Amino acid sequence: MQNNNLYHTTCRILIGLCLTFTVSSANADDFSAIQKAAKGQTVYFNAWGGDTKINNYINWAKKALLDQHDITLVHVKLTDTASAVSRILAEKSAGRITGGSIDLLWVNGENFSAMKRTGLLQDLPWVTSLPNWQYTDSRTLPGILSDFAEPTNGKESPWGRAQLVFSYDSARLQTPPNSATELADYIAKNPGRFTFPQPPDFIGMSFLKQILIELSGADTALYQPVTETSFAAVTAPLWNWLDTAKPNLWRSGRAYPANYPVLRQLLGDSEIDIAIAFNPADASAAIARGELPSTVRTYIHDGGTLANVHFLAIPFNASAPAAAKLVANFMLSPKAQVRKADPTVWGDPTVLAMQKLSDTQRMTFTKLPRGIATLSDVDLGQTLAEPHPSWVSRLEAAWIKRYASGN
Amino acid sequence: MPAVISRRNIQSQQNIAISALTAVTILLFGLPVLLGLIGIILPAMSYFPALGKTSFSSNAAQQFLATPGLGLASWLSLKTGLLATCVSVCGCFIILAAFSISPQMAKLRRLLGPLIAIPHSTIAIGMVFLLAPSGWLMRLLSPSLTGFEQPPTWGLVPDPYGLALVLGLVAKELPFLLLLSLSASATLPLPRLLAIGSGLGYGRFSTWALIVFPLVYRQIKLPVIAVLVFSLSVVDMALFLAPSLPPPLAVLVLHGFHDTDLGNRLPASFGALWQIGLVLIAIILWRLFEISAYRVIQHYRWLGWRAQSADYLLRFLSVVTIVPVLIGLIGLVAALTWSVARGWFFPAAFPIGISLVHWQDMASYLPLIINSALLAISATFLSVGVVFLWLYHGKNLIRKNYLLQAAIYLPLLVPQISFLFGLQIGLSWLGIDGTWPALIYIHMVFVLPYIWLVLAPAFGEMDLRHDRVASSLGLGPIRRFFRVHLPLLAMPISTALFIGFAVSIALYLPTIFVGGGRISTITVEAVSLAASGSRGPAGVAAILQILVPLICYGVIWLLIKYRFSQFANMQKNSLT
Repeated sequence: MQNNNLYHTTCRILIGLCLTFTVSSANADDFSAIQKAAKGQTVYFNAWGGDTKINNYINWAKKALLDQHDITLVHVKLTDTASAVSRILAEKSAGRITGGSIDLLWVNGENFSAMKRTGLLQDLPWVTSLPNWQYTDSRTLPGILSDFAEPTNGKESPWGRAQLVFSYDSARLQTPPNSATELADYIAKNPGRFTFPQPPDFIGMSFLKQILIELSGADTALYQPVTETSFAAVTAPLWNWLDTAKPNLWRSGRAYPANYPVLRQLLGDSEIDIAIAFNPADASAAIARGELPSTVRTYIHDGGTLANVHFLAIPFNASAPAAAKLVANFMLSPKAQVRKADPTVWGDPTVLAMQKLSDTQRMTFTKLPRGIATLSDVDLGQTLAEPHPSWVSRLEAAWIKRYASGN
Repeated sequence: MPAVISRRNIQSQQNIAISALTAVTILLFGLPVLLGLIGIILPAMSYFPALGKTSFSSNAAQQFLATPGLGLASWLSLKTGLLATCVSVCGCFIILAAFSISPQMAKLRRLLGPLIAIPHSTIAIGMVFLLAPSGWLMRLLSPSLTGFEQPPTWGLVPDPYGLALVLGLVAKELPFLLLLSLSASATLPLPRLLAIGSGLGYGRFSTWALIVFPLVYRQIKLPVIAVLVFSLSVVDMALFLAPSLPPPLAVLVLHGFHDTDLGNRLPASFGALWQIGLVLIAIILWRLFEISAYRVIQHYRWLGWRAQSADYLLRFLSVVTIVPVLIGLIGLVAALTWSVARGWFFPAAFPIGISLVHWQDMASYLPLIINSALLAISATFLSVGVVFLWLYHGKNLIRKNYLLQAAIYLPLLVPQISFLFGLQIGLSWLGIDGTWPALIYIHMVFVLPYIWLVLAPAFGEMDLRHDRVASSLGLGPIRRFFRVHLPLLAMPISTALFIGFAVSIALYLPTIFVGGGRISTITVEAVSLAASGSRGPAGVAAILQILVPLICYGVIWLLIKYRFSQFANMQKNSLT
């Protein structure tokens, strides 16, 4: 497993270096031209709008962008990112190659890989020409160049980091289970007290991937395009795990919550003992808002948990691509990133590399409060890489076939 | 003489022009559905150039038919749709029979407006909150009565049979059908019919069942079918109340359209056609049900069934039908409570504290409320204008031509999910998606059939002698409209306006598909917030969402009370 990670990290670095050399021709002059073109434009930013604290953060960015760059940011709140991809596709099939309705899209994983495959992204790479790209480092965070093992090719700009964490109420549960097998035991002993968001929900799928990686010992096949034989062999333990757990899940596995905020609500309602989130600071923020009891704490599994980076992408037919690039650059600035990392605002970890920042910039990050339920960076240290995106749709279909067809 | 002939010629030419104009506007409102259907049929046959599919095949169909759980999903939709419609119609009958021409009815009628304004999602969220294992009901009883320190692991909502969805749909559709039935029954000589019935020894129940209700039903047949189609293909309510393993068909199809794998749009398109097929089956089944119900009524008419003892049953049933209405109201109370709650954990019966933190975001909802109001007002008033154009110039045209009739009602009879994706492509191709005119137009498409439904019969019932008197006094058509028709039709117009506002405000799928995110409304925001489980902000959005139709309702009510009340005896059809 260690070797595997090393191998993939090396691969990513190589890809990263190649990219840096190919696209570094873009320079600062280009960007000032972009800045000029962007003035007075409106950027329609399509981003999942299901979390008030994220919406408030985007609202803050909107005000800052209007003041500093004369750009009007409009947050189009999505319930599902795929619906925006669907819209871009509809525009492509209607032959609209300019003047599209989406300028900037919050995206990663399968949605990005689907857009890349279908040619729904900007033709030319643009990310490394952003002035604030200098604060990132693909050696310490290779994930900014490969999204779920899919090379980004400079077509999406990193925005934030995410890691799967579990949360529990310490007033009701003393020692939470810290691996897939222990979790299975816990479920067997406490019927009806565990569940996960229903796939194809993003967090639900992430949970399946987490269990799959743990049970298969991070099989190398997971990091290559899926094949018929590899799928059957690698996923067998996962189905076995789920089959055993199912009768003892919340509502006996006959219903699942729709997404992670609903799951969090179930934890707050004491209907379940353990919830899942893709943001280490989510529980702290929910405690601050009075949505979770103050006794809630978080933990990760011993072998580490799934981690990835989320991005901003510009569709091929964006109406205001220049302004969209400026917004992406703004979102990557130390000022915007530190505010995003503040757990009282959003608590989304930064994609910037601390060693590339000035002392005063670094100070603003180290001074951030850490939130009562948030783990330290050391505790979060162990991470697992996302499998190749081709696994996701296969997993999704197989799960639905097994558990969601009412048989 | 030649002068007379030429004047006639001009007149007939004008008539032809006006008729043509009317026909064009009517077709204009059937067109979006046709456009949308074409945009679905092509991908359903695996033709989708943007994905590199440039030949026809049955792959999409095969792929869709292989969807796991398709049979159960279809059965669930069919079952819940038919049951919800049947219960709503029966409830409507019971309330009418129990309370018509009584003082209670006047009170009930005043409740209807606000009830219709409650959005689907609010009712759904309220029900979940009330009936969930950790819901309000269980919190009030625990731990003192139940002994539960933790919520029980069984749950009532959502239930595997879809009964919660049926209940939620009834809570929404019953007030709507009742309002339309009241409009319809206003055209009948109700007191006389009931007096004759009781004079001949018939009970209230049998008078209504055998004589009055069939007459009312004849007039609300189409809205009932619209309710059936809507119930069969509802999405926003099903997300909260229906089982999800598998979900009802419309949700399954929507998942397909929103799948990360873009290739799944093709089978989803076939699914949209499948949904139309299911709706057709449901309509046929409903028609059979209508026919057999009519046979039964006919049989009892022959028997001269007096059934006075059934009236006691009526009392009991009328109390039961209040239940779904109550649920709607409790949903509203729940939304309000959550919008100000701070820290509310099981098994506390009430929140630990009150906080206005969620209401502080109100300013950010203001543009959405303005959008909703602008859309509703412009779509509704334009629709009323168009309907009057039809009534003055195209009434005979429409009566004679079934194609035109179908064009008007088409948007209500084709499931929304089945044509919106195609429509999105069509509007995008025209380059007008996400613009105000396009959105107002699409809202009109959904609002207009209801306005036609309310205004056309009322216009037909209008006492034309007043019009002739005014005409003989030398008043022109425009002054006649304002001085005679408007006061005479004030009540039905106000009902039409209110239904128009309520329908427009509640439109969810059409707004997200056509608005393109460029124009959003408070309803889209409320569903998005509720789906993400943030109860506080969702509560705020839900309350704000009913505010717009409620204000419209209040304005109309005041207008009628102070401006048109002196014509009350000349009108048959009222909202308040």
